[in-house]
Amino acid sequence: MKKKVLSVLLSTAMVFSLAACGGSSNGGDSAADKTEATTETAAEDTAAAETAESTEETTEEAGEATEAAASDIDTSEHVVINYMTTGDRPDGKSAERLDEMLAKLNEILTEKVNAELQIYYIEWTDYLANYNLTLAQMDGSVDLVGTASDWLDAWPNAKNGAFLALSEDMLKTYAPKTWASVPADHWEMCKYDGDIYLMPEDNYAQWTNHGFTYRLDWARDAGLADGVHSWEDLTTYFKFVKENHPELKAVWDSDGTQYAQMANGWIASHTNFVAIDGLATGALWGGTKDDLYTVVTPVMTETDSLVDYAKMMKEWDEIGVWPTDVLNNTSSQNRDEYRVGQVAAEQHHTQTWTDLCSKTEANTIYADDEKAESGFFYFGEETDNVVALSITHGAMAVSAASEHPERALMVYDLIRNDPECYKLFNYGIEGVSYEINDEGLRTTPEGYDSSTDNINGMTNYWWGRNDDIEIRDASRNWDKIDELYAKYDKVKIDYPYGQFVPDVDSIQAKIDNCNEVYTNYMKQISFGKYTGTAEEIVAEMQDALAQAGIADVAAELQTQMDALYK
Amino acid sequence: MAKKKDLDLMESGAKVKIGATDMVVRGIGYFLTTFYALACIFPFLIILASSFTSENYIRLHGVQLIPHEFTFKAYEMVTKSGLIWKSYALTITMTLVGTIVGLSIISMTGYALQRKDFPFRNAISFYIYFTSLFSAGLAPYYLLMTQTYHLKDSYFAVLLPLMMSPWLIILMKNFVKQIPHEITESGKIDGAGDMVIFVRLVLPMLKPALATIGLFLALGYWNEWYQSSLFLSSKVDVKPLQYSLYEIVNKTQALKQSVAGQYISLTDLPTETVKMANAMLATGPIVLLYPFVQKYFIGGITVGAVKG
Amino acid sequence: MSKSNSAEAIAVPHKKRGFFGNIIKYRTLILMCIPAIVFFFMFSYMPLPGIWVAFVKYNYGKGIFGSKFIGLANFEFLTSSGKLWSLTKNTILYNLAFIILGNVLAIIMAILLNEMQAKIFKKVSQTMMFLPYFISQVLVGVLVFNLLNYDTGFVNGILEVLGMEKWQPYADPNVWPVLLVIIYLWQQTGYNSVVYFAAICGIDAEIIEASKVDGANAFQRIRYIILPSLKPTIIILLLFALGGIVKGNFGLFYNIVGTNSLLYDTTDIIETFVYRATMTDFNFSTASAVGLYQSLVGFVIVMVVNGVIKKIDPEYSLF
Repeated sequence: MKKKVLSVLLSTAMVFSLAACGGSSNGGDSAADKTEATTETAAEDTAAAETAESTEETTEEAGEATEAAASDIDTSEHVVINYMTTGDRPDGKSAERLDEMLAKLNEILTEKVNAELQIYYIEWTDYLANYNLTLAQMDGSVDLVGTASDWLDAWPNAKNGAFLALSEDMLKTYAPKTWASVPADHWEMCKYDGDIYLMPEDNYAQWTNHGFTYRLDWARDAGLADGVHSWEDLTTYFKFVKENHPELKAVWDSDGTQYAQMANGWIASHTNFVAIDGLATGALWGGTKDDLYTVVTPVMTETDSLVDYAKMMKEWDEIGVWPTDVLNNTSSQNRDEYRVGQVAAEQHHTQTWTDLCSKTEANTIYADDEKAESGFFYFGEETDNVVALSITHGAMAVSAASEHPERALMVYDLIRNDPECYKLFNYGIEGVSYEINDEGLRTTPEGYDSSTDNINGMTNYWWGRNDDIEIRDASRNWDKIDELYAKYDKVKIDYPYGQFVPDVDSIQAKIDNCNEVYTNYMKQISFGKYTGTAEEIVAEMQDALAQAGIADVAAELQTQMDALYK
Repeated sequence: MAKKKDLDLMESGAKVKIGATDMVVRGIGYFLTTFYALACIFPFLIILASSFTSENYIRLHGVQLIPHEFTFKAYEMVTKSGLIWKSYALTITMTLVGTIVGLSIISMTGYALQRKDFPFRNAISFYIYFTSLFSAGLAPYYLLMTQTYHLKDSYFAVLLPLMMSPWLIILMKNFVKQIPHEITESGKIDGAGDMVIFVRLVLPMLKPALATIGLFLALGYWNEWYQSSLFLSSKVDVKPLQYSLYEIVNKTQALKQSVAGQYISLTDLPTETVKMANAMLATGPIVLLYPFVQKYFIGGITVGAVKG
Repeated sequence: MSKSNSAEAIAVPHKKRGFFGNIIKYRTLILMCIPAIVFFFMFSYMPLPGIWVAFVKYNYGKGIFGSKFIGLANFEFLTSSGKLWSLTKNTILYNLAFIILGNVLAIIMAILLNEMQAKIFKKVSQTMMFLPYFISQVLVGVLVFNLLNYDTGFVNGILEVLGMEKWQPYADPNVWPVLLVIIYLWQQTGYNSVVYFAAICGIDAEIIEASKVDGANAFQRIRYIILPSLKPTIIILLLFALGGIVKGNFGLFYNIVGTNSLLYDTTDIIETFVYRATMTDFNFSTASAVGLYQSLVGFVIVMVVNGVIKKIDPEYSLF
């Protein structure tokens, strides 16, 4: 009899959870239904706007369109839109500043679309688990979701039903300015299975290609008059610094995670390989600039180059570029050490360099030594192999469980395109968090405290920044930055696989295993920590990758790529 | 029974060296304990000293045993927003409430499960033990808590799951078993019900067990960060103490090791000294709990006292 | 599913009085268990059906039970890595070392403390032993690195002063099993010994007094009175530890070994491997699948050991 009791208990438990899981998926569908019957007001023909003037025109036209549309949209109910972003919630004084800004913003939002915005933070530690759990909750607790195809699971979430498919009608009606400002071919890259899921941050200049930030003044001392322009130059530079600057804590206080970008960088600098984002930590699969849609695996084919890499890294290790136990040096803060002149290099992307090369308060090297200057050697410089950032590197999605998807879109349209909302949301209240100087650049007002007044660091709005409205930060070293950006613009290609969202279910296990094998070997190779010869370690890695199924993955990707592009 | 035989064996053993062996055991005891205790306090001193050292010094020379370039800056940073005091209040409240309620339930259950005449003891023991073997994993648990129980952003999501564990219940059962049978039997003869026997006769005998399990529960609540990280979103103003510590200490590494670290370049990451200061503040008062609990460990139970 | 079967199998009906008769007779005892029964039902049994997530391609919109069934595909990466055996072996061996040495040391500490007379010393040292338990694993990792690293580590500083050759543990996989066990013992012994200390306090003081009168020395007291009385505690501790013997201590390994691939041969456990391999492929199904594998192995081991104990002495078995 006890048998029965237990089985009843267990089956009750099952029924309960079944009910719990089944009941949650309704919100999304009904919302989509509602939008079917809406009006089509936004002008489609203005979509492909290239120049600044025509963009402005578009904005105006679309603006009128919104007003026209807005009058037809029922906004009588006041709603709260939850915007989910990664980041730590501010506290104390910073929280007050944020609340002041939000109060002001919400006044405008209430007036225009009868909605207010709340920020829902996903804290950095365990962000990926918490981000996915919150989405899986599917109970309408979030509406707008900041996401990214390369680091925040945008595609997996679109596939698994977390995001709402945004119909063209819906976008035209509720986010007309966004609809108009994003060109048609960009919308194509936001589609999965024919539906749009993401609103891309496609009008914001940023470069996240990696490279080394180094001391240009010291490079000149080392005999590199023009600075560092190749990996060989780096060897010269590091050797010189090691010998001539014993006061440093380390030449480069690297931690064990730098291997991935270094290895990718070496390949970029020595081949015309273009990697497919988001498959694995390392850039294992991709095409070549001349033949984008034929899948190659340079880690298997570029043996000679990899052997050279392994040798050079061994040399760097012997020079003493990084701490001996670099693989466990996890708590180092190399970037901060660079700012205060305790190290001579930092490996990260161009955006980070734009900060490091500027004479800001935090970068004390420039105040301490007036000759100090920071150069940037970007990976791929030797071969002009530079790929622009994917436009879905930052994007906004609407949760499939959102109870007010239309209003969420309307709010997004405003914070992305309305100058007043945009500036409030990104920079804060003028006079408190920022000021505009005579040159039209953004500066900080008297009494500004960067630890509490920096709204930009609190709203973490990386999902729809807009260069039409952006005000440049006066503290940035724009002469140098613009010079580099111009150089990039000349040689870059756009990220070619924006539309390629492979279905990896059948090969995921192999991808995971390749990733693991590659990571383990590449760490040893990239920090010169391998035993035996360079040839041996590279061959060993290639054998292990072959076993893990790197070729099968490439073949499957090729099949899917052929289906899409040929 | 067996013990009696053992004692007989001892009689014939070496009686001569009594004093000497006891001294040897004690000597070894003092030596080992001192050595181990020092090994335990050493890192704590490092953390303490580092929390008062300037950030610049730590970056250049690593953590130290003696504070260099002495400063309170890290503590100022931690206490600046005043939130930490609210976290203290929250953690202390949760620890007290959770420990008291949990301890009552655990001791009741432990008592019932050790009663040899209780026919369901094996089934219930298994029912409880089984949960320590199988768990459904993160997603089902999270969805149940949020969708079915609606505990997202509720302190109950932290308070409830920590209230008991199979391990503590079985441990309690084991402790109760040690109480001589004569005690419960004497209650039965007097005609007392199970509840009365438990409260009047068993509980007073259980002081070391209650102290031990109470201590484990309290530590569990004090050190808790996991449930908080799952269920207390940014909408909750005041978070438990250790959760804030967990966030601060882990953030930098979590970012570095993740894919996000290749793209995101944050500027105001917590410094080493702030981590250390947080660790000191978050440990703080709970260290004082142990000496308080210790007094219940002194002096065992004597059956004689009850019988007499 | 499989779970309900195994649970049913255990609930053998009680013969003597009949089920309902027993319920009435033991109503108070049953009532005393009710809060715990409800608790475990709510927080442990209710989520269990969700283990189904390990066999589906989880779609948030459709829910766990509405998602597509994909059989054992979620287990594939673990089996196809070719490392399943070595990972399981590492995990089990480390856990065995932790369980055995951890308990031996905890028992020794508890007994020694019990023998001591100086109350203040006892209190102070016992409190100090508790301190490592409070240091978060990340900070333990930082401290160990500061102690052992090649360039600026404390140990190498001393070796250099002594004119000896420097030691580079972070490049030598063979030293880590020993180091990790030491770190574990350092961190846990104070905590573990509390259980034994309390158990010793529970020993009938009359017996100890009697033994003293009879002239037993400390060794004899420990050997013939204290150790036998700790037996039940040791056994339940063991049974609980065995249930989790395939579950690794992620915090310890991840924070101390980190992602140093030079050391994986001797330090990689199931948790750390899964964590790394699924870093770019976040999904709940894989994690649940791995958890299920660990639970099943632990379950089999526990059932066997409990059965053996039951044969030898039913008093000590768990259920």
